Amino acid sequence: MIKSMLKLGIVLSLFASGACLAMAIVYSITGPVIKTQEEQALNDALKEIFPDADSFKDISKEISSSDPKIQILNAYEIKKGDTILGVAVKATGPSYSANAILLTGINTDGTIKQVRVLQLSDTPGLGANAANQGYYVDKARKITFTGQFIGKKTTDPFIVKDDVQTLTAATITSRSLSAIVKGSGEAASQYLSRKGGAR
Amino acid sequence: MNQKTRTFLQGLVVENPLTVIMIGLCSSLAVTTSVANGIGMSLAMTFVLVTSEVIISLFRKLIPESVRIPIFIIIIAAFTTMVDLVMKAYFPDLSKAMGVFIPLIVVNCIIMGRVEAFASKESVSNAFLDALGMGLGYTWVLIGMSVIRELLGNGTILGMQIMPETYQPILFFILPPGGFLVFALFISLNLFLKKKWLKSSWGCPDPEGGN
Amino acid sequence: MPVALKIFISALLINNIILMRFIALCPYIGMSTDVKQSIGMGFAVTFVMVMASTVTWALYHFVLLPLGLEFLQILVFILIIASLVQLVEYYLKKSAPALYLSMGIYLPLITTNCAILAVTFDNITAAYTFFQSIVYSIGVALGFTLAMVLLAGLRNRIRTAAIPPFLRGNPILFVLSSLVAVSFMGFAGLIK
Repeated sequence: MIKSMLKLGIVLSLFASGACLAMAIVYSITGPVIKTQEEQALNDALKEIFPDADSFKDISKEISSSDPKIQILNAYEIKKGDTILGVAVKATGPSYSANAILLTGINTDGTIKQVRVLQLSDTPGLGANAANQGYYVDKARKITFTGQFIGKKTTDPFIVKDDVQTLTAATITSRSLSAIVKGSGEAASQYLSRKGGAR
Repeated sequence: MNQKTRTFLQGLVVENPLTVIMIGLCSSLAVTTSVANGIGMSLAMTFVLVTSEVIISLFRKLIPESVRIPIFIIIIAAFTTMVDLVMKAYFPDLSKAMGVFIPLIVVNCIIMGRVEAFASKESVSNAFLDALGMGLGYTWVLIGMSVIRELLGNGTILGMQIMPETYQPILFFILPPGGFLVFALFISLNLFLKKKWLKSSWGCPDPEGGN
Repeated sequence: MPVALKIFISALLINNIILMRFIALCPYIGMSTDVKQSIGMGFAVTFVMVMASTVTWALYHFVLLPLGLEFLQILVFILIIASLVQLVEYYLKKSAPALYLSMGIYLPLITTNCAILAVTFDNITAAYTFFQSIVYSIGVALGFTLAMVLLAGLRNRIRTAAIPPFLRGNPILFVLSSLVAVSFMGFAGLIK
């Protein structure tokens, strides 16, 4: 009885070990690739928002969100030489289908520099248009969903259909993303005011 | 037709996993909102199906009856993980678009079902053919559905505009209700094809020893 | 509105796991022939789902993450779910044989219930706290039960209906689901 159970246990362990070994091998090859990709994507996004910058300092530990639904994944202090240009916050929050991840750049004067959608899996044709640079929420002035946040004060109310324009038939996505931008903006402003603002 | 060909062809229409046996539905309806996703999922699923069936068939004499389910799970999970990792590394956008459905391949009833019913009892070559046939049966339904859904719901195929500019996309098809409806149509289509197939000489139940 | 309540309502109605996300269709189609059966299945799923969420959450945050073994997530989670189901089955057999007999067939099926694995993964990707993941699981499980009960009721109704020949059997079930899904889309604006 014990012997047969032991034998079963050994067989199971052998298969499990074999499986883990195979997976570990694949992971050792793909892991670094995945990491580099994520870093590359982040660097590209940061460069796009702050083209003049020459250094990013990770300040993720010094910054936090006051909104429980919004989580700050990473935050960076953007500098050019010795001058702080602003802060970039990578934050996530619930959206229509899954969590969305946005990268928000905030200037030292408390206004938003730019918003970039890093991850959004909402309905194509509706919520997904938030990331679509060819889709305008303001067709007359050709402003995209993320474009509308440029120059916006972090102290604004961020109420959809009030000071934030929605995506057609995608109010939930609009609300969710605007909440993420608001949370990012507030957290960044708090950090910047602690640091004494622009030098 | 010989036994081997029959094994392969079963999964295409007569025993199509999605529309006839009705298994593996989870991962299918959700990813058919775009052809790119449909193709990605078909490839991923077929890969895990083929590798799992082959490995399990290879080791079938060494897998004790009483712990076979956990061992099947371990093997299927290992291959699913590999697919997930490879996709994250080399096809990150596709991987993000498909989200949780790639890991869900591990509980895809098709794989567990075929492995239990077939691979654990048949030779490696038979298991391979069965997996390929089932995989292809899954693939044609998936790609068919995603072509219809993306074309009618977005006017594009693989992101390329196919419908004329004036075509107003019918969003319904991309949304969940549309998915259910298109799938209903495919089940009907498959039933129709199955009837024709079984009537024709190809589908005739063959006596022992082939045609 | 407290975050937990939002998570709950979203899981139950707005993002209903079956009607909006297409997950767990196999048991949905296969087991919804009877309202009572559906409720029974719902109970079993709720129980396993909450347990699975708690155990996998803890294991991920206290073992896998600190050790950098996240790539084992798929394997570990599914094994935990399979073991939990075995345990539940064993325990039920011993302590509540009547209950076991009536639920008997569903239990092994719950292992391959896509919803359970999906929820355990969601807890991680949405970075829920321990409490939030429990709330989420209950919401999803109830949403699953709701969808199944609805379909079971509908199936009862159409038993005597005149259905066109090429839609008889499974196709009509999907057409019905399509209609129910449309009605569920109406919940979209429910919470701010």
